[in-house]
Amino acid sequence: MAIFGKDYTPPDLHAKITGRAKYAEDFRADGMLFAKVLASPMPHARVRNIDASEALAMEGVEAILTADDLPDLGPLSERALTMEPLYEGEPILAVAATSELLAAEAIEKIKIDYEPLPFALDPLESLKPSGSNARVDGNTIVNERTEEGRRTVVKELRWSQDVFDEAGDHLPMGEHQDEWSYGDLEAGFAEADYVIEETLAHQSVTHHPMEPRTCMATVQNGKVILHASTQSVARTHGPAAAWSGIDGKDLVVIGEYCGGGFGSKIVGTVNMPIAALLAKKTNRPVMHRITRYEETYIGRARPGFQTWIKVGFRKDGSITALDMYIIQDNGPYGRQGDLSMGPTTASLAYQPQAMRFRGVSVLTNTPPRSAQRAPGGAQIIAMIEPMMDRAAAELGLDRLEIRRTNAPQGKAKVGPQRAEISSAFVHEMIDQAKEKLNWDELKTRSGQRNGSKVTGIGLGFSPFIGGVSGFDGLLVIKDDGKVHVHTGVGNLGTHSFSDTARVAADVLGLEWEDINVIWGNTGKHLPWTTVQAGSMTTHATTRAIHAAASDAKAKLQELAAAELGGSASSYDVSGGRVHPRGNRRGGMSLASAAQKAVARGGKFSGEELPENIHRMTTASATALAGQGLLGVAKDEYDNGGPLWSFVLGCAEIEIDVETGVLEMTNYTAITDCGTVMNPRSLAAQLHGGGIQGFGLARYQKWIYDPSWGIPFAHRFYTARPPTILDVPREMAWGAVGEPDPYTPVGAKGIGEPPIGAGQAALVSAIQDALGGKVIRKMPVMVENILNALEDRPQDTETLTAHS
Amino acid sequence: MPVINDMIPEFDLFQPADVDGALELLAKHDDAWVLAGGLDTFDWFKDRAKRPDVVVDLGAIDQLRGIREQGDGYEIGALTPLSDIENHEAIKAKFPMLAQAAQAVATPQVRNQGTLGGNIVQDTRCWYYRGGWPCYRAGGNICYADTPTSMNREHCIFGASRCVAVSPSDSAPALVALDAMMVVRSRSGEREVPAADFFIGPSTDITRMTVLNGRELLVAIRIPSTFAGAHQYFEKVRDRNAWDFPLVNVAAAFKRNGATIEDARVAVGAVAPYPMRLEAVEAQLRGKNADEATGKSAGELAIKGAKPLRHNGYKLPLMRNLVMRAVRDAQSAQA
Amino acid sequence: MDEPTTSVSRRNFIKGVIAGGATASASGYLFRQNGVLAQRSAPGSVERLVTLNVNGQNRPVDIAHEETLAMTLRYKLGLTGTKLGCDRAECGACTVLVDGRTHYACSILTHMVRGREIKTVEGLEGPNGELHPVQQAVMDEAGFQCAFCAPGFIMSMVALVEDKPGFTRDEAAHALSGHICRCGDYNKILNSAMRAGEIARST
Repeated sequence: MAIFGKDYTPPDLHAKITGRAKYAEDFRADGMLFAKVLASPMPHARVRNIDASEALAMEGVEAILTADDLPDLGPLSERALTMEPLYEGEPILAVAATSELLAAEAIEKIKIDYEPLPFALDPLESLKPSGSNARVDGNTIVNERTEEGRRTVVKELRWSQDVFDEAGDHLPMGEHQDEWSYGDLEAGFAEADYVIEETLAHQSVTHHPMEPRTCMATVQNGKVILHASTQSVARTHGPAAAWSGIDGKDLVVIGEYCGGGFGSKIVGTVNMPIAALLAKKTNRPVMHRITRYEETYIGRARPGFQTWIKVGFRKDGSITALDMYIIQDNGPYGRQGDLSMGPTTASLAYQPQAMRFRGVSVLTNTPPRSAQRAPGGAQIIAMIEPMMDRAAAELGLDRLEIRRTNAPQGKAKVGPQRAEISSAFVHEMIDQAKEKLNWDELKTRSGQRNGSKVTGIGLGFSPFIGGVSGFDGLLVIKDDGKVHVHTGVGNLGTHSFSDTARVAADVLGLEWEDINVIWGNTGKHLPWTTVQAGSMTTHATTRAIHAAASDAKAKLQELAAAELGGSASSYDVSGGRVHPRGNRRGGMSLASAAQKAVARGGKFSGEELPENIHRMTTASATALAGQGLLGVAKDEYDNGGPLWSFVLGCAEIEIDVETGVLEMTNYTAITDCGTVMNPRSLAAQLHGGGIQGFGLARYQKWIYDPSWGIPFAHRFYTARPPTILDVPREMAWGAVGEPDPYTPVGAKGIGEPPIGAGQAALVSAIQDALGGKVIRKMPVMVENILNALEDRPQDTETLTAHS
Repeated sequence: MPVINDMIPEFDLFQPADVDGALELLAKHDDAWVLAGGLDTFDWFKDRAKRPDVVVDLGAIDQLRGIREQGDGYEIGALTPLSDIENHEAIKAKFPMLAQAAQAVATPQVRNQGTLGGNIVQDTRCWYYRGGWPCYRAGGNICYADTPTSMNREHCIFGASRCVAVSPSDSAPALVALDAMMVVRSRSGEREVPAADFFIGPSTDITRMTVLNGRELLVAIRIPSTFAGAHQYFEKVRDRNAWDFPLVNVAAAFKRNGATIEDARVAVGAVAPYPMRLEAVEAQLRGKNADEATGKSAGELAIKGAKPLRHNGYKLPLMRNLVMRAVRDAQSAQA
Repeated sequence: MDEPTTSVSRRNFIKGVIAGGATASASGYLFRQNGVLAQRSAPGSVERLVTLNVNGQNRPVDIAHEETLAMTLRYKLGLTGTKLGCDRAECGACTVLVDGRTHYACSILTHMVRGREIKTVEGLEGPNGELHPVQQAVMDEAGFQCAFCAPGFIMSMVALVEDKPGFTRDEAAHALSGHICRCGDYNKILNSAMRAGEIARST
């Protein structure tokens, strides 16, 4: 374990700081064409006819691609191009030309006959008796259980006008389509000494990674080589093939570097077929550059929530009952998991004695959604945490203490099934926070005035999933004495692609310099790997590489016994040798063991493979067979139940009561994420996720003109990602560092929970600075603060989406 | 809404060596577009909403750059980058609010390239108009930002006339409050226009935001010594601390005798289609003590007659309080 | 214009917008193949064939009038270290130095920087690959996550280190405020900037 918990230089850093790192738009090839798409100018329409004759007659315009060129994967499956655009900006066709400007001009010469269709932007509007459907066949999307299993269907749902009339300014709650509960809710509320209830809204937000989802494709010997911007690599290959209709064996996906994803590029991007198929069609390289403007449309977004939440507390602060109703703004395509992950996260975070969730997922003609860092969890945490503070104030309890009272600890239970999670060291985390924040002193600053400025202190306790298990590890010890770790994860800059490879060094007693990480190219024989999402990489891949390295170690011991005599268990592996225990200079070097493994063949060199590994791993291991001693194994370690990580964020702010201007002065994040693998990278996750949360809390949102269905926040200056001047100049962090007892290295993923912690802490701090005034809508913009201070009505309604 | 974005249409680029050469080109080509720093220009071009055949880049005209002492005041070439103004020692000492206003613009890179002239004459940022919607200002017959369902958080509370867009400049209110003169050249000669008259509202001409016609150039800005070294105040409220345009900004200059305000200039940006000089407030301030009470009544007077739109009611208390703070600050700085 | 109550008026409106936005047609040359030079160049307008001074080298290149510096660097000179994150002067990924000052390469015409010294991230290393103090600082601090924004930030740090050697953390934040890092790695970026200042002062 000596290698973990230490800073190190990841193997990709030099390329990144010298400009040599190649992201998808950095590849060039002779004769490269440029692709541009024609995007729908209206929010919902049917394309009746495309007349591209004038465009195709232009010299240098080489090909056109339409939805007809793409496989049809079912009505709910989004495709790269469509004949029924479901949101303004959805691509209809693509043109490839010898220059990008020519492609753009060709697009402008294409005549499209649109049949405009009714559209819906706001879930609540769509549910009204007079509402319109975002899709022709309905306005909600439901998971149904049938005899054949689960399926997702579109249904039409309208609520009576009475539901809206009776709601007043509360959330209208008509017929729901999703529900789960546990415990006796009614008894819970009856038992409560204090009940708080609130109608709240959370915006939809584009992910906006720095690198747009540009793709470049070439064709070599009939194979399409696709340079994509993707979070995962091994797991991008399948979707890229399926979405393009290209046989998997004829496709190589390359993505050594990915300029951010945050959930928007999990298995690649839906637009990948455009470059791939245009390259195939023209037999020339094709660059499909995605602009920021286009990224706003096709770049995915977090679903918005319109929510009602009711919580019952005992005098001691413990939660007796939690009831919530969520209307999810689903976007136009597949059903989004935020709707269920939100309440599931709450069920863990607050350990309510009884809980009920009801909800509905409403389709809208706005850009497609996907998981965005702590999907559902961030929204719900940011809504409930300020309510916790108000309850603490009402009950005369300390804000940190009320969280400790309800905290999940040890084998805490989650979700309606009350499954026991792997581990939680939240008490230790809160204790560390109390000390690190100097909480008892800090909390006295709450509400202090300094001229026109008032201080606010806010806490955000945020759990989220941090792992998954059951994937494969693959490595080769070659006759150079080095261990070549093949990993299917992508490289988002979290350093998990190399952090997890360090497990091989740990298990095999090597220096980090003896490890060569092979990543980022499906032509390089990758094992079956987790998708790089949901913070699952660190947990899943440390386990898988641990399994593979342990397999290699066992083979080395067995090999040494066979070659040198004695029993396998009398040998150990360290210092670059497999050697008799107690004699580190004896035995043989790994280089020599690699040669002997090749000579022996069989399982040692990968000629024989375990049966339980995935077929992708089998294919990769088969290709690597004979190159050295292969370590290849499936992670079959016990996992101790669902794996969750935890962050507690604390924000200190100043609000100018005359202008509503907010300055963040401090932010600290403390985590329970198991063993600390890479301290600097962990800090970067805690702070970086926190900062994304600040953006959600403060100013990132969509604005749509409701009459035309057209958005305005498709630029950075209207979408407003936080700048370096909007965050504290220096931020602190801490980690409990208790290993998860069920995983060999003890590390849990930590990408997700920091965002909810940052967002919730900041929203709570705003409420604190406003003396407990409730702002019911996120983001909390300067005018919302000023209006609250001035006791003016807000300029936009809480329950109007995208306003 | 345009079908294609972020591809600049082709044009012919001219780089005249002097102002006369530039004016000649403007006279010759009806649709010639004047390019200074380009930060406003390239947005228009990339949105493909403006497609001139001829672009006249003023960058080669050295005489348009520089900060020169002139008589009692200063003359700033229209092409002087904002970062030169923000870092100029004499400007910082004598006209600090201009330096602060320049520094409040966007980001260091924008200020290294963006010019004072460009910051002054930049077009409005109304997202309907900039998005290519065929509104009044774009030659159509509707204002999309002023319907019962429009999104108009950043639009005007004063000066609407068919159009509700605002002047987004940070330097303009400072220049108005400094009684700056805009030096305008045409082939027929040079004229000076007071800053307060240089900016025009939609009721004067809905298609442009300044008096400049297509054949004139703003060549310099002259700042008289009137308020040199006098107490000044600039404040900008925006969403993010970098990049963002003002939600409201205020620029004020005070001549004081002890605690008494002898003369004042107060101008507010982003509340009207032009930087709005508050002459009634200035009149009220004369002879009063600079204190919070005076500031409060100045703030109340400042927003008298404001007509908020559906989503920008917050601009009233914001403008009121910014004016109040400007006046109150004149008190605190006396000690 | 009808009120937006029916889908038909919506269509008319949108058609009108498209027509309004696309009044002129033009043909462009931004990425024309080699050998096809400007077909159109009005008398007196700028010469397309120019020599640019990039990273200390003179690079002859054919530049369309409307071409931005980012496009020239990335697509004509092979300098892909300069990234395009927004193409609208709103993210900073394309930041380069022009005569030592930071500029957004996406929002300046290449013809506007003729005769000036352009420096990109590729121009920072020494002749034998020695890292610039700023690059070394980023290595030391493992600044940046996805690093798509890194080359731009690094160029602003280079300007900062040269302009204001004794800068504070707050001054660094202001100097770097023209960049977005969506990974939110600002803390580590500022650590890197401060480390760069230390290295620069000690050498």
